[in-house]
Amino acid sequence: MTMMLPALLTAAWRPFIDPLDLHALWWVLLIPMALGVSVVYKAVRVRDLSRYWREVAIMTTQIVLAMILLGAAVYLFIEFYVVWVADHAG
Amino acid sequence: MSSAPYPAAPAAPAPAPEETFQPVALVLAALFPGAGHIYLGEVKRGVLIAAGVLGLFVGGLLIGGIGVVDRRDNFIWFMGQALVGPVAFGVDAAHQSMFKVVDPSGYRRPARPNEGRGDKGQVVYGGTPPYIRSLGRVHELGTLFATIAGMMNLICIIDASFHAPRTRRRSGGGAR
Repeated sequence: MTMMLPALLTAAWRPFIDPLDLHALWWVLLIPMALGVSVVYKAVRVRDLSRYWREVAIMTTQIVLAMILLGAAVYLFIEFYVVWVADHAG
Repeated sequence: MSSAPYPAAPAAPAPAPEETFQPVALVLAALFPGAGHIYLGEVKRGVLIAAGVLGLFVGGLLIGGIGVVDRRDNFIWFMGQALVGPVAFGVDAAHQSMFKVVDPSGYRRPARPNEGRGDKGQVVYGGTPPYIRSLGRVHELGTLFATIAGMMNLICIIDASFHAPRTRRRSGGGAR
């Protein structure tokens, strides 16, 4: 493994071919994903395009907030409820 | 008995435009995102669809590299990505033919560390892989971006195929 590292580390990053090194910040990518979904969905759904970008902003915010709430709920479930059930089992 | 006339009834709302099947729009929308709507005269809507779908797809490639579009090793996800249209098939063809290596058994696969790619695609031991294959969350998100692009384009294809001219609503309610 260490034999190949120098060659790969010195190679220039080529966009669209090599991946981005965003392992620590992967969760930030959920925001552009929500924006992309909103852009396409609202382009089909909105009748009056003069309100389009406002609707896109609202839907993007809704998706991001929903994901945050879902993540918080799963965190509480795993960290507290499952631990509590395990402690009181049997 | 009073002879006063009843007040005039309010005018009935105009009936909603009827959906019609548009086979040409279906084909165009399947060939290129947004083309079906542009054919139907909704140019701005078509441009927004193209920007959104291609933005998600290209965003997936930018995040995870070309390895996120892989018909051979990731077929289930590719089924969703294929809904973007010929663009997805072109990216996959480039991935298979220009970046993967053919091992001695004839199997086409990503190059492993310390493997390079020869002129005819064969494995060259001791070389540098032609691309870095993404792993973990970055690979998952890149794949997800490209697949969501295809799924969203499916909605647009259906919308263009069964098209009803959109009219502005005077008051709220329903789709905005």
